[in-house]
Amino acid sequence: MQKILAWLNDRLGLEALSRFGMHKEVPRHSHTIWYYTGSSIILFLGIQIVTGVMLAFYYNPTIKEANASVARIMTEIPLGWIIRSIHSWSATFMIAIVLIHLLSIAFTKAYRPPREATWMTGLLLLCVSLAFGFTGYLLPWDDLSLAATKVGTDIPKAIPIVGKWVTSLLRGGEDVTGDTISRFFIVHVCVLPLVIFLILGIHLFFVQRHGMSVPLKDEARKEKLRSLPFWPNFMLRETGVWLVLFGSLLTVAVFLAPSLGPAANLMSPAPPGIKPEWYFLFMFQMLKLFPSHILGINGELVAVAVMAAGFLLVLILPFLDTRPAERKGRIITGVAYATFAYTIALTIWSLL
Amino acid sequence: MRLQHSLFSRRAFLNSILGGGLAAFAASFIGPVVKFIFPPYKEPDEVKLPAADYNALPANEVKGFAWGSKPGLIKRAADGSLVAFVGVCSHLDCNVTYLPADRKFYCACHKGWYDENGVNIAGPPPAPLRRLAVTVDGESLVIKKQG
Repeated sequence: MQKILAWLNDRLGLEALSRFGMHKEVPRHSHTIWYYTGSSIILFLGIQIVTGVMLAFYYNPTIKEANASVARIMTEIPLGWIIRSIHSWSATFMIAIVLIHLLSIAFTKAYRPPREATWMTGLLLLCVSLAFGFTGYLLPWDDLSLAATKVGTDIPKAIPIVGKWVTSLLRGGEDVTGDTISRFFIVHVCVLPLVIFLILGIHLFFVQRHGMSVPLKDEARKEKLRSLPFWPNFMLRETGVWLVLFGSLLTVAVFLAPSLGPAANLMSPAPPGIKPEWYFLFMFQMLKLFPSHILGINGELVAVAVMAAGFLLVLILPFLDTRPAERKGRIITGVAYATFAYTIALTIWSLL
Repeated sequence: MRLQHSLFSRRAFLNSILGGGLAAFAASFIGPVVKFIFPPYKEPDEVKLPAADYNALPANEVKGFAWGSKPGLIKRAADGSLVAFVGVCSHLDCNVTYLPADRKFYCACHKGWYDENGVNIAGPPPAPLRRLAVTVDGESLVIKKQG
């Protein structure tokens, strides 16, 4: 055994890795708890990969078979219902924790130099996660998923000049059809995983290169912060967090399995009370509230422009918030809280 | 004027030839790839339906048909004639439904309303429903693009 390990070590240089784990230290302060959110996202990503591969064993991405194959997974395949339920709920958990991760970094201002690129790659990862959610939502091919996909893929049409092309690219044609299912499936199971691994790799490289960010007030203090060795002390705590999250995931997955409506019909009207996944609700409510025309401009275009501008501002936040500890920084924090409150309010409103 | 020194070294020149050549080679693939991923689409020029199926359609009632991959709706207007619409909301492309009791078309996605002539009257829709032309040709109803 010793010999095998030594051989492997010689070939792979594993010692560097274990040295890294033992020397890496995690700072301790009042906001240490947010450090756990990052690794929790990885946990759910791992669950998504395993359950996703399992579901793909039985799923058929065609207009005739998509809905029926999901029904078969739910009713005939041993434990199929719980695998689909875990996949569906783990997506929700993952996006929820991605959002908490993002908010914790926004409000502790961890995006300040030198971590601007870490922040920006993180936002791209949020976009990829949402794209996973959006493409996955269509695959069961029931009335709800058809209507949601029609709306979601129609939104880019509001963009001048290129909009129609973007919609056609997403749908694989003029309308949402069987071609859209194959397109969404291959993007969901092949393109997006490649993209997420690439960006995640860069993101983690930045995290290691710049080390863990500490809150402003702790950074200002002279004496060195207390810290925790990553291995095994922090890892032990992290494992505890993982087990609690995994337990919660299994619990909701068992008791609240996702439903499956009858197969979507391209010719039937949108079902009443359609709603997208919870993380798109604020956009859904905005699109509903904006009137057809604002000052003579298409209301949809205005809504899309407002959302795009909001996203861009968040993306370049590190370059706007240049003096985080001063008055300008406090104003930006205020605006961030207001935006957060606005998003929550719209989400709750859409549920009423 | 004669320059004393070259503006760039031989190494830089060769590097840019190699790099630029590789980039141009890669770029030559973009066109075909883009062409491939946009499938051709042609809206139907006309759709023929058996007139017998629609003759008995009462006033203020709607019956569907397939306009390519979009839902079409044929409606008996108050004057007894048949009118046809593409049953797709002008807001964000959801399929609309006709509510005979209200004499309105309704889109459930974002609560869009159209009157019985397909004109947008409330909610987010920016334009009326698209009209199609209906003519009778012997035993068939012929639905065509309008105009």
